[in-house]
Amino acid sequence: MADTATDKAEQAEDKRLVQTNPDYDPSVIVETQNLSKVYRDFWGRQKVRALKALDLEVRKGEIFGLLGPNGSGKSTTIKLLLGLLFPTSGRALVFGQDASETTKNERIGYLPEESYLYKFLTAEETLDFYGRLFDMPAKLRKERSDMLIEQVGLTRSKRRQLKEYSKGMTRRIGLAQALINDPDLILLDEPTSGLDPMGTREMKDMILDLKAQKKTVIMCSHLLADVQDVCDRIAILHQGDLKELGAVNDLLQVSDETSIRAKGLPQSAQQEIEEVIRKHGGEVLTVENPRTTLEELFLNIVRESEQRPGRRAISEQDAENGEN
Amino acid sequence: MVVNEFPQITEWLFGSANNPSAIYIFFLLILAATLFGLFFGYLVAAFRHGPTEAFYVVAKVVSGAGPDWLKLSPRRTFAIAKLAAKEAIRRRVILIVFAIFALALLFGGWFITGAENPERVYINFVMFGTQMLILMMVMLISAFSLPEDIKNRTIYTITTKPVRASEIVVGRILGFAGLGTGLLILMGIISLLFVWRGLEHRHQIATNENNEYEFVEVDRNETGRRASDDAILETRTTQDSGHTHFVEVLRDVRDKDAPKPVNMDAVIREIPAGDKTIYERLEIESVGGHTHKISVEVDSDGTEDLAELLKKAKFDISSARGFFRARVPQYAEKLVFYDREGNAKSRGISTGDQWAYRGYISGGITLSRAEYYFDGIEEGLFDTSDKLPLELTLGVYRSKTGDIYKQIRVGLQFESVNEGEDATGDRYVSEQLEFESEEFSVQVKAIPRTLPGQKFSASGELLENGNFDLFEDFAKNGRLKLTIRCLDQDQYLGMAKADIYFRATDKPYWWNFFKGYVGIWLQMMIVTCLGVAFSTFLSSPVVMLAVICTIIFGFFSEWLQKLASFTIEGGGPIESFVRLITQENTSRPLPEGIVRNIMTSIDSVFINMVGAVTQVVPDFSRLDFSDFLTYGYFVDNDRLLVAVFISLAFCLGLTILGYFCLKTRELAA
Repeated sequence: MADTATDKAEQAEDKRLVQTNPDYDPSVIVETQNLSKVYRDFWGRQKVRALKALDLEVRKGEIFGLLGPNGSGKSTTIKLLLGLLFPTSGRALVFGQDASETTKNERIGYLPEESYLYKFLTAEETLDFYGRLFDMPAKLRKERSDMLIEQVGLTRSKRRQLKEYSKGMTRRIGLAQALINDPDLILLDEPTSGLDPMGTREMKDMILDLKAQKKTVIMCSHLLADVQDVCDRIAILHQGDLKELGAVNDLLQVSDETSIRAKGLPQSAQQEIEEVIRKHGGEVLTVENPRTTLEELFLNIVRESEQRPGRRAISEQDAENGEN
Repeated sequence: MVVNEFPQITEWLFGSANNPSAIYIFFLLILAATLFGLFFGYLVAAFRHGPTEAFYVVAKVVSGAGPDWLKLSPRRTFAIAKLAAKEAIRRRVILIVFAIFALALLFGGWFITGAENPERVYINFVMFGTQMLILMMVMLISAFSLPEDIKNRTIYTITTKPVRASEIVVGRILGFAGLGTGLLILMGIISLLFVWRGLEHRHQIATNENNEYEFVEVDRNETGRRASDDAILETRTTQDSGHTHFVEVLRDVRDKDAPKPVNMDAVIREIPAGDKTIYERLEIESVGGHTHKISVEVDSDGTEDLAELLKKAKFDISSARGFFRARVPQYAEKLVFYDREGNAKSRGISTGDQWAYRGYISGGITLSRAEYYFDGIEEGLFDTSDKLPLELTLGVYRSKTGDIYKQIRVGLQFESVNEGEDATGDRYVSEQLEFESEEFSVQVKAIPRTLPGQKFSASGELLENGNFDLFEDFAKNGRLKLTIRCLDQDQYLGMAKADIYFRATDKPYWWNFFKGYVGIWLQMMIVTCLGVAFSTFLSSPVVMLAVICTIIFGFFSEWLQKLASFTIEGGGPIESFVRLITQENTSRPLPEGIVRNIMTSIDSVFINMVGAVTQVVPDFSRLDFSDFLTYGYFVDNDRLLVAVFISLAFCLGLTILGYFCLKTRELAA
């Protein structure tokens, strides 16, 4: 019921925006036109040119990654989209509205780089407070915050002050506050920073979950593996310039190489395949048994340990002694 | 206490001959601030975006202001208010402020001594302490809140929600104001208890070495003491709280059918004597502004001798009365001085340095006198129907010493005022009431309701000699003239308009106390708004500095206004400096010439700037009612309303300033 109500409200809002702005395309969630930002000092002298004429378009339902080394303009872009910074030139439009409009925030969730929350509040109070900022009635606030606290796994610590939280827990409550209003667009600034591999995986799962709910997500990160795992499209920024933009799959595909993965293949069959390749003029680069990623290995061990508590790792020397 | 001339609320709001309309000044300032804001905003925007784009930027900010205020959400605003209050509590400033207050009260009592009006010291102490601590507290919490949020970036999670700048500013103001209000109420209640406990004391009737009560005959030759006219015996109370009281036995002779004395518990004997009744009753002389109620029980076993009778009597003396009073003075509308030749003057005779506040009249056989014109004298204002309390604080200037113990004699005469449509009415003139002045203290004269005098027709013909009623005859139209004369040759009596007044029925003390604290509350509101408004664009230490400067300017606002209106001798800064190095005295004009012209023109620029500053800085002295409470005067509603309007205007202006500053600020930069 709640979802239908939200959808209806969303449709009404889109309708209103189309009426007020004939160029508004509801499928384009974020659009930047020639967006530039120059940081100046007190006297107006130019300090840094943080963003240079950025043109972007993020469409509804996609997970968009902003990549780049430190100081490349990722955070600046996000802050410009949120209206925390004003553009030096160009425009940033969110839901067809100027980024400085307060009303656009009704449909936005934002998880800052570090969770800048009030440390003297408990998780429950935090979510209640942010719920109030969305003008949500008490009942809805309670429902949403209970649900989110459970979703981010903080049920047992919901009455503790945030100052007692670990970094991982702080990220979780940060995410929960970003989702309190059931937003259509979620901006995540380094969502996995400071999280352990379990937490990172859970965060990535939650992001994919948001995609499944047809939400639009913009995230910036310099942890490339995370971006690769979840993003549909990415933009790579360097020194304020947009260097690359496209679908992750297209960008990562090495089109002149082919890899084949098979299971239970005997050595003879391998040689045969190599010959077939040579026959067709191809070059065999490597033939090897694939390795799992460290992330996979770690997660498998933790999962196994949760299923069979009490089992301990045996050191290599002990293992040798045991065999003897 | 010096009471300034004070216009009525309507006069103040809409203006009169002497006062420009406050509403007019307010709108003028708003207009000036708007124009300045637009210009300044455009300048900054032009610098950032170029002159054409700047128009759109300014227009956008201005047009966005409407919805930001109209669509202000109470839920969001109160959420922010609650958070601001919580955060402030966590900072422990309140705890520290309260601890200082508690310590001051715990040990402050040790240093408050003196029998003469101790309530003044007590009330002044608690009110000054409360005022300073509350203002300091709201200044600290409001100065740190927003800059800290911006520094810690917690503001990011607020402004990325649909929160309007107006809600952030108003929310914070409400949060801090709520907290301050709570603390102020607490401090007010504790202060009242502290003052009450500090002043509370009882006495016993003192006994002699044989442990018996000893009433002795009144010694009228004792210097420095004036016993009541009808006192026959006297004794003292025990010494408590640093003072004793004289207890007098009065021989009060009244007509048989006249009203009985108010306190019949203090009557020792009631003796019928023909068509009169003699009441022998006790009365406690007031000391330092307070007295006690006494009651007596005598065992009338036939003892005729009063002193003997009292030896065996039982006395009960109540706790102190009169400390907590809210006097309602009925001031004169107009005061006119007459010099020795009988010419009307707006100021009295100059006696040198003392001249500034009080005007003087000279004594002896001259036409010098002062006339007070009262309006609105009605019976309903006074509960003691047979006597009207007239309170006088007269200054005395002696041009010859004479008998130092002898006070200067004063003559009072009442007269009806028939002007305009009443001009054809009968005129009543009372005989002159004569009494001795008491220097340095508020002298209370009970004016009998019926006064002997003459009745004249409108044409000046004497119609009747007799006793006339003050309300029904003299002040039939509510107007009354009081003429005051100095009766001693070569001596001078000094008075200002606020020095003589009829004391109407007192108002409840708690109500006055509340009003006094409303004054502090209004100051607190302004300081809160100052702190929040400044913190939208300044860092915490600078906010504190700015607020402190504004408060100091505010308290010296009156002096600055004087400076700006060229009434201070010695000229502006340049002229004063020249006078300083040339050792020229301040009252002599400098020689005419181009140098003087240049100096005065530079000075006038400076002085006009000061004048402009005084208009935009809140005049805290107008919001401060502690003197009224200290001296026990009722804060009249006009004063309170003016203070409310002043505060409202400043809070409104500062809130809007804070809104625009926050709205146009890049929070992430």
